[in-house]
Amino acid sequence: MQSCWFGDVEAGQCTPFTGDAAACARRVREIRTSMDAFVPLDWQQAVACGVCRDRAEYLALLQKVCIAGSEQAVREQYAAKDVELLQMVRTLDEMDTVTNVLSERVADWYQIRHPSFSRKYRRTPAHVLVKSISELNRERGGGGGALGKVATEITSLADARTALAKEVSARACDVMPNTSALIGGLVAARLLSHAGGLKELSRLPASGIQVLGARTALFAHIRTHAPSPKHGIIFQHRRVHNAPREVRGKVARVLAGKLAIAARLDYYRGCAVPAFLDDAQARIDRAGTVEGEGDKQQ
Amino acid sequence: MIRVGDVLVSKGEGGVYGERMLDGYRVWDPYRSKLAALYLVGTGIELPPDMKVLYLGAANGTTVSHVADYVEVVYAVEFAPRPMQDLLEVARRRKNVMPILADASCPEQYAPLVETVDLLYQDVAQPDQAAIALKNCVFLKDGGYLILMLKTRSVDIRKEPAEVFRDTLDILMSAGLTVTESTWLAPYHQDHAAILCTK
Repeated sequence: MQSCWFGDVEAGQCTPFTGDAAACARRVREIRTSMDAFVPLDWQQAVACGVCRDRAEYLALLQKVCIAGSEQAVREQYAAKDVELLQMVRTLDEMDTVTNVLSERVADWYQIRHPSFSRKYRRTPAHVLVKSISELNRERGGGGGALGKVATEITSLADARTALAKEVSARACDVMPNTSALIGGLVAARLLSHAGGLKELSRLPASGIQVLGARTALFAHIRTHAPSPKHGIIFQHRRVHNAPREVRGKVARVLAGKLAIAARLDYYRGCAVPAFLDDAQARIDRAGTVEGEGDKQQ
Repeated sequence: MIRVGDVLVSKGEGGVYGERMLDGYRVWDPYRSKLAALYLVGTGIELPPDMKVLYLGAANGTTVSHVADYVEVVYAVEFAPRPMQDLLEVARRRKNVMPILADASCPEQYAPLVETVDLLYQDVAQPDQAAIALKNCVFLKDGGYLILMLKTRSVDIRKEPAEVFRDTLDILMSAGLTVTESTWLAPYHQDHAAILCTK
């Protein structure tokens, strides 16, 4: 028996499939065709089947099925929980870059306008300066010209960024509860974005997770035998960057090991596993203390 | 093939990807489409109006839209959802484009939809491009054409493109296909070759 999109053909007998294009497309995706001694379908069987009268009608029907099927498949792939999070976290990181670049530029511009102004001894990072410029602009009722307008726009972009960061964090806790519990939603989301998806992250070895985001250092290590990177994105977690220098690599390694397990739990189970989390937290905390070196003797 | 002066064109509704129009024809840009480059660099094959084409690696439907201008029907297989969104838009406006979201290395996924075709066109960025083409030859009629756009860098980044090219030709010929034309697509596409075979 050969199953085609329009029905089943068996020894010259044809049973047409009755249903709309969407139902037909769903059926097509369930058909399992064997490719041994495979012969492609003949469109005239569809005419014999009574599905259509001529070639034009056949193609019109088939196109409806193809479009419906592809639309279903695209929708399904986009419905995966991590797909939107990926775009969100990438947008977030790009917004950071853009606001930083623009802020520095506006600060430079402001200094030209005010020859006696200097940022020295004032503790004014660019973003604080931009904020005060935009406030000044508002007080003057928009009298600050283009500079004031740009500063205002940067400030509102920064606000949008804060809102997005909250959303990313919340979404990450939902999509990857275990990983987020270990290193926080934002960093977990960044790991996800660098790996390319939850499935990809869950299939990375711990050593890969450890150096995700340290690509330049990793390839410098492989090519020129420079020292290997100890950490990539996971450095952003306080346990790694607050750890004493001599155990930082060790903390990163232990954390990455636990993250690899957490990512697998997230992908295959999809819910938080408290027993694992307590155990992992304790293990990572122990690695963070210099006394943790005593582990080996235990 | 239709040409206006020296420019390769096709006849159909314009505006698919912002292509130029020339005397009411759509200009087919060899820098964007490998098939157009083949027609300019080599000879290629004629695309008669009753031709059926299986197109693997349809991407955004740029080349697909031009092929569809010439032939009767194009079965356009694409794996990634993002370009599929564009391909669907092309299909909604062209009666003879059949978009299929499937993996070209698994023909069983679209076997219930595709009939016997006259031309198998393949442009996929995979390491086993020759094997994928051979797998899909079941849809090709005897005496039909295979156009394989070989992306040598996708096969093996460390091998010399010329070596990959030779190896691929060997695989195709030992599978019983007759290679009628093979050419590099420079200057339009770097490290890409076109291989034309008959079954």
